[in-house]
Amino acid sequence: MSLHLEPIRVATGSGDEEGRLVLMQDRLVAVLVRLSEQHGPDAGRWFLEAGLGPLAGPDQPSFAGLDEAQDWILRRLDGLHP
Amino acid sequence: MASASNAELAPLIRKLESIATLSDEARQAVHALPMAVRVVEPRQDLARDKDKPAHCCVLLTGWAYRYKLLDEGRRQILSFHVPGDIPDLQSLHLHVMDHSLATVTQCRVGLIPHEGLRALCLRFPDAAFALWRDTLIDAAIFREWMIGIGRRNAHSRIAHIFCEMYVKLQAVGLAENHRCAWPVTQTDLGDALGLSNVHVNRVLQDLRAQGLIGPQDRDLVILDWDALSALGEFDETYLHLERRAAA
Repeated sequence: MSLHLEPIRVATGSGDEEGRLVLMQDRLVAVLVRLSEQHGPDAGRWFLEAGLGPLAGPDQPSFAGLDEAQDWILRRLDGLHP
Repeated sequence: MASASNAELAPLIRKLESIATLSDEARQAVHALPMAVRVVEPRQDLARDKDKPAHCCVLLTGWAYRYKLLDEGRRQILSFHVPGDIPDLQSLHLHVMDHSLATVTQCRVGLIPHEGLRALCLRFPDAAFALWRDTLIDAAIFREWMIGIGRRNAHSRIAHIFCEMYVKLQAVGLAENHRCAWPVTQTDLGDALGLSNVHVNRVLQDLRAQGLIGPQDRDLVILDWDALSALGEFDETYLHLERRAAA
């Protein structure tokens, strides 16, 4: 199982615009957004702006990099289909 | 350990008198409640889930919060408390804590033995009714929080809690002119309102940019009460305040 990332601008209503659509094959599973300078020490981290299906819910972590974000997403998706 | 002075008990008396009428005798009996005063540092538990306390804690100074810990370190904050509140009053009748209670700031806490509170209620029905009324208002506040978490967006939730805490503090004489202390962190707010830290930060910056609140982190300055309360759909009826402390 692998993920595919596509750059996208995200209308978060804040300075956080740079995003990635996270696709598994041709299905959207999540949207990641890079946190802007307005987030101080968290600037540059990748935030799980939206999760679809099994990634939906109140748990919205942020990650140091895109690799870490993808690992987390894959683990979550794997966990449901061991 | 020490006893509470009359001045330290003022928020408790103001709190009770803001929601009910106390006879002079009942007020004196509240002043005379047996109480051991402790200073508790910030972020310390006052009571833990599953504890069986033998006393209730009245907050004399400082802020506290109720919370529940879930798997993987997730935390839901259930309520915030200010001087005059007795956040574990239910332990008088419900003997096992079903959540935890912790300090936000350093607090002076008055520990009232359950038997002292029971004796107060038996001798002074108006004091018992005031405490009963307080627990009913506590439930009304939970209903409002449930509406917020279930149906309000992030801006509205945050606006609502700012209005609620300001009015609660004003009722005990600890806020005026739309200013009050704000020791709650962004993480606390997120855990209370079901929001990510990122969303809390975005909303706070937006509320500041719109001129609804001031730029301070540790103080809440409400610059436009009408706009903030409209945004939060805040209607203080559910706080059932009969009398406000003189500001």
